[in-house]
Amino acid sequence: MSDHRRHDGRSRILAAAAVVLAVAGALALVLGLRGGPAEMPTSPPLAASTEGPSDAAGSPPAAAADGSGDRADPVGPGGAARDAAPTAAETAPLPELGPILPASEPVSLTIPAIGVASDTLERLDVGPDGVLPAPTDFALPGWHTRGPNPGQLGPAVIAGHVDGPDGPAVFIRLGELQPGDEVQVGRADGTVATFVIDEVGRYAKADFPTSLVYGNTTDRAEIRLITCGGAFDRSTGHYVDNIVAFGHLVG
Amino acid sequence: MRTTRRIALAGFGAALLLPLGVGSAFAADGDVNANLTPVALNGAAASGTAMVKVEGTTLTVTMAANGLLADAPHAAHIHFGAEARNECPAASDDADGDGMLTTTEGGPAYGGIVVSLTKTGDTSPASGLAVDRFDTAPGGEIAYQRGSITVEPDVAQAIVDGKSAVVIHGVDHNEDGVYSGDAMSDLDPTLPAEATDPAVCGVLMAAPSGGVAAGTGSTAGTGTSTGVMLLGGGLLAAGAGAGALAARRVRATV
Ligand SMILES: [Cu+2]
Repeated sequence: MSDHRRHDGRSRILAAAAVVLAVAGALALVLGLRGGPAEMPTSPPLAASTEGPSDAAGSPPAAAADGSGDRADPVGPGGAARDAAPTAAETAPLPELGPILPASEPVSLTIPAIGVASDTLERLDVGPDGVLPAPTDFALPGWHTRGPNPGQLGPAVIAGHVDGPDGPAVFIRLGELQPGDEVQVGRADGTVATFVIDEVGRYAKADFPTSLVYGNTTDRAEIRLITCGGAFDRSTGHYVDNIVAFGHLVG
Repeated sequence: MRTTRRIALAGFGAALLLPLGVGSAFAADGDVNANLTPVALNGAAASGTAMVKVEGTTLTVTMAANGLLADAPHAAHIHFGAEARNECPAASDDADGDGMLTTTEGGPAYGGIVVSLTKTGDTSPASGLAVDRFDTAPGGEIAYQRGSITVEPDVAQAIVDGKSAVVIHGVDHNEDGVYSGDAMSDLDPTLPAEATDPAVCGVLMAAPSGGVAAGTGSTAGTGTSTGVMLLGGGLLAAGAGAGALAARRVRATV
C-alpha cells in the first residue's frame, strides 16, 4: 500500500495528454508487430524465446542505469514516449507463447494410444507438506489444482496410478506413450485442449526434477502426465521412480 | 541510480556464490506460478497464468492473460508486503463499501508493488504507473515475457517463499469499452479509477515438492514401464530452458 502511495508524488508524469499519446504509440507498435494469431513455433521454443526478450529487454536500461550517474526521470512523459517507441521495436519482441486457452477446469481425459478414456478427474490439492497427492480412486486421473488448467500457459499436471490393490490402474500404460501421441483434455467450458507428447522420462523419486516438471521452464501451454514406475520397494510400499510424459498444446 | 548499481553488484555476487552451493542471503532459487483469477467485486471476465523463475536476485517472468479490456494499457506488478496477508483481496477488503476494490483497498491483502512488469526499461516500483510501457492487451490478451529483472534479496526470498502476488490492473466497471467514469484513481487523480483498479490477481506459489506416490506395486515386475530410461533430476533442475532440455535429451541417450 505504501508503495502505491509513493506513486502519488510521481503523478505529474502522467499528464493525460502524455498518456494518450504514449498509448497510441504503443498500440500502433503492438498492432504492427502482432500481425495475426500466434502460431506454434517450428523450432523448439525454449531456445528461441527465452533468450530474446530477456537479454534484449534487460540490457539497455541496465547499461543506462549503470553508465550514467544521473539518469533523467525514467518514466517522464516526453522521454518515456520517445525512448519506448524505438527501443521496444528492437528489444522487446512479443514472446511467442503458442496457442493458449482461457481458464477452465478439466473434466475429462482421453489418450487413445494407451486406452485412457476417463470422463471424470479428481482434484489434487497440494497439502501442507507441499506434496502433490495421488488420486484416491485408482481408476481416475487427477489434476493439480494449484497449477495451470490444461490449456493455459505453463505446465498443467495430471497424475494417475500405475496400479492399485486389484491390479492395473488408469496410467498402467503411461510409459508406452511415444512422441507424437495425442492427449485430449475436455474442459468445463466445452472446449477440448489437444496436446501432443514430446517425450517420456523416468525419474527417481529421490531425485525428482521438480523444476522440469512443475516449474517455469516452458513458454507455452504444456502438460505433464505423471505416474509411478521402476522397481517397487516393498519396504516402503512405493515405486522408486516416477514416469512423466511431457506434451504441448496444439489446439 | 546508485541503488541500481548496488543491486546489480549484489546480483553479481549471488551469481558467483550459487555454483559453489554456498548459502547466502542473496541466494534464492525457485520456480513459482500463479493462476490469475478475477479480483473480487471488480467483475473482470479475465483469467491467466504467470510463472516466475527466481535465480539469486534475478527474475524471469512469463505471463499470459485473456479477457481484459482490449487496447487499453494494463499496469501489471508483482506485489508483496511483509505486513500483508500475502493473498488476493476479498470482497471484505472493500473498505469504503462502494462495491468495487481499488488498488489501495487490496493493499492489506497483497501489499505494495515490488516489481513493475513493464515491457521495456525500468522494472522498479517507480514504474508502477508507467502506462506507456505496459501491455495494451490487443484483443484483451496479454502475452508477456521478460528476464533479467533484478530485485532486492528480501524480495527474491519472498517470491520464492510463495508470499508475492501478480496483479494486472485495469477494469471496465461500466462496460463502455474504455477507461472512464466519474470515480478517479486512488493512485493518480488524473486517471479514471478503472485504469488502475485491479482486474486479476494470483498468488505466486511454489511448485510441489518431489514426485507422486501413484502405485501399490500390484503390477510390479510385469515390465510395463521398464522401456523408459531412468533420468536424473538434480542435474536437470540446475539447468534452465533450452539447457535443461538439451541435458535431458543427452542423458536419455546415454
Ligand atoms: Cu499492482
